[in-house]
Amino acid sequence: MSPLAQTIVDELRTNPRQFAEIVDRHRDVPWPNFLKAWGEVRGIEALGRDEDGHYLIKKD
Amino acid sequence: MRSSFRDFLADLETAGELQTVKKPVDVRDVSGLIEQSPKALMFDALEDYPVWRLAGGLITSRKRLALAMGTTEKDIPTRLERGLKNPIPPVMVDKAPCQEVVLTDPDLSSIPYPLMHVLDGGPYISATLVVSKDPEFGRNVGSYRLMYRTPTETGIDLVSPSDMRLYYQRQLDQGKPLEIAVAIGVHPFDMLSASYKAPIDLDEFAISGGLCGEPVPLVKCKTVDLEVPADAELVLEGELLPIGWTADEGPFGEFNHISGEVKWNPIFRVKCITHRKDPIFYLLQMPWENDWLCAPVTEASGLVALRSASVHPVAIRSPVGSCGYWTLIASIRKRPGEGKNALLALLSVAEVKLAIVTDEDIDIFDPDMLDWALTLRMQADKDVIVIQGARGKHIDPSTRAWELGKGGLPLSAKLGIDATIPEGLSKKSYQRMRHYGKDRVKLEDYT
Repeated sequence: MSPLAQTIVDELRTNPRQFAEIVDRHRDVPWPNFLKAWGEVRGIEALGRDEDGHYLIKKD
Repeated sequence: MRSSFRDFLADLETAGELQTVKKPVDVRDVSGLIEQSPKALMFDALEDYPVWRLAGGLITSRKRLALAMGTTEKDIPTRLERGLKNPIPPVMVDKAPCQEVVLTDPDLSSIPYPLMHVLDGGPYISATLVVSKDPEFGRNVGSYRLMYRTPTETGIDLVSPSDMRLYYQRQLDQGKPLEIAVAIGVHPFDMLSASYKAPIDLDEFAISGGLCGEPVPLVKCKTVDLEVPADAELVLEGELLPIGWTADEGPFGEFNHISGEVKWNPIFRVKCITHRKDPIFYLLQMPWENDWLCAPVTEASGLVALRSASVHPVAIRSPVGSCGYWTLIASIRKRPGEGKNALLALLSVAEVKLAIVTDEDIDIFDPDMLDWALTLRMQADKDVIVIQGARGKHIDPSTRAWELGKGGLPLSAKLGIDATIPEGLSKKSYQRMRHYGKDRVKLEDYT
């Protein structure tokens, strides 16, 4: 997993976030790079959503 | 002559309706910029996407829709109706601008996938023309939003009943994927045809041909057994995985101007991307562009319903405030009783929940004239119809669809208002005042 993807996962583990909030935290990253990293995050089985659409990392 | 997406952009520029932005822009900011512009925008330079340009906010007024359709604002529904009645089958071509570049190792992060709304579940492509095929029913063309998931996968909203949903279900029942091809950057005629709820055996490309007056040139896709408009800017080829409605998708800023909710939908796996050498990405700005494209479809359906009821329509419109979907207002050349017949016809259209009918002397595009007719030609105990328990739409919060549970279909009440001159009253009762001398004297002679 790329460092950016790992950072996003770590952030979501502690704070569920809307997609735009995740984007806001990484505005310094070029958009194509962000999209690639997001693709890695989406591949994690533990990624979940709450009913308001926040992304979160499900606890074991 | 067949018009392409680029021809439409050129028409907008000639009419002074398109502004070009030269300064490089981050793709994350284009939707926010489009929202501030009274004109359609063309971004000539996108940061990190050197090959691409991006156009958006193209159809945000009836004027621009009329421009796209080569007609006047009032004649939009009849223009669409005429195209529907005179379909022209598409033609196949061997070489296509949309296949100047072929990428069989697809990477969706290499196209300027835009982020539109604060609560969206991801970046979205909204200006899609999705082609699919069923062995029994043939080709279908519709428009479905695509949410970025990974460099090779998107979500796709396939919750609402549609022909493609049926095709997918039939493949799913056999454990097979459904091949689809997605064309982006096509002429508004193609988008309108895809939005129209055509009978399952009618080819939407033939409708588009009828609207344009020329056949749509189609080219075979590179990796799937489907055809797409040869003059498209970008094409995504692939398949809907046979996983059913199991992947999270949404929310997305819906055409009713409300952020939707997380849905469960299939996944689209992209196998190939083709595009022009110098492609232009089309960002269809929700909700306005969707609503302006939706209105003529609703209006044309209203015209068909009125004519089927043997009522003579004079003008019809679906206000963009009703998302071009839930309200129909028509003026008619009325015979006794036809105010009510017209209401029943209009209320039969899809999920239209408010219909207003008035006489041919009322300009229904003038809100003050319409209010005048509603005020003086309508009696609430005689001229209002309420129909309970008709089909509703999930994204209308007033139907309380969330109380129905998964798979529940909401019901809606429908309201019809007959603002035609009441039976038994003469037109003389409504003789409008005229100002003495107005046709004889001229203000400029005194100023």
